Amino acid sequence: MRLIGLALLALAVGLFVIFGGDPLGAVLFRLDPGLLNLVQAVVQRYLLPMIWDDLLLPVLEAPAWVVPAVLGGAMTLLGWMRARG
Amino acid sequence: MHILKSRPWNLPESSATPEALVFGRRQAMALGAGMLAASPAMAQQAGLPPAMRNTRYVPGRAITAEREVTTYNNFYEFGSQKTISAAAQRMPMRPWTVKVEGMVETPREYGIEDLLARMPLEERVYRLRCVEAWAMVVPWTGFPLSALLAEVKPLSSARYVVFQTATIPSVMPGLRQSWYPWPYTEGCTLAEAANELSFMVVGAYGKLLPPQNGGPLRFHQPWKYGFKAGKSLVTIRLTDQRPVSFWEKIQSQEYGFWANVNPAVPHPRWSQAQERMLGTGESVPTLLFNGYGEFVADLYTNLQRERLWA
Repeated sequence: MRLIGLALLALAVGLFVIFGGDPLGAVLFRLDPGLLNLVQAVVQRYLLPMIWDDLLLPVLEAPAWVVPAVLGGAMTLLGWMRARG
Repeated sequence: MHILKSRPWNLPESSATPEALVFGRRQAMALGAGMLAASPAMAQQAGLPPAMRNTRYVPGRAITAEREVTTYNNFYEFGSQKTISAAAQRMPMRPWTVKVEGMVETPREYGIEDLLARMPLEERVYRLRCVEAWAMVVPWTGFPLSALLAEVKPLSSARYVVFQTATIPSVMPGLRQSWYPWPYTEGCTLAEAANELSFMVVGAYGKLLPPQNGGPLRFHQPWKYGFKAGKSLVTIRLTDQRPVSFWEKIQSQEYGFWANVNPAVPHPRWSQAQERMLGTGESVPTLLFNGYGEFVADLYTNLQRERLWA
């Protein structure tokens, strides 16, 4: 787990270096312009609009490095705690 | 043997406009114009000046129930779900201005009341075919785009008309998706814009056009898929550069510049051969150019190399 966490932290650093503070949504749009549109339509039309507006959109509006940094930090910490026993 | 062939202009007696409406129109328009000039707030309350139905354009299908049309909407500035009608009510409809600019002799900025008062309003019952394979038939009130173009006088160098939708972040939650290429932009050639079917819409069902349907001013070309129709317009620009529209920037393979309705050319993810009528749920065959070929097919005779159908 600690290895995956460290990999995610490295990814976060890489995203920060490449994209700076650009939102995750903007980075995904640059990589695949149709992807988010498809996901948004599926979530808002067939699941619940609130899932997009209140759950996914805040994540997509955050800088791209935040998600891997938070996940990576949490996994590294958990891995370290488990290793200490 | 005498064979009777039904033509689009063969109308039943029941389609005739009531006499009182025809002969009372001039008086009603004068009254309406006076009220509109009095104040924008009164214009909002007064509703649309009466407009006679133009019977040249026969939908060939029953008019869709108003409730269906006003509660099932695509307006991405308010979200990608169809149920945005309540959210759209927050959009301020007055004051509202639209600029007509670019390659024209006389650039102008119109207040919506000014447009309502000076343009030749009429009602047209048009089919609308969404690229998502649903359809509706709506009595729009508006005026031919050619009437507006005649006022601003396009330069000979102008080739395209670009329509831009309002961006009001305080009431449009969809704009939070900052990665989309806002503002919503659509366009057509000047030849298409000048076609008699190209219609600037200010009302529906005899009332002012509600915000969820693109009020106070939208565009409609009934032979194209619905996404080509810019809603809640604030700018109309004439240019010599072919515009890249909102959807073309997002998924050009699915939503191109021309986007003429053609049942034989499927969307990459679904067939376009049939369409589901809003309200009844009935599935009916889709027609080439949405059934308006006799009016527009000539526009494309020399454009066979273009991707005309998506």
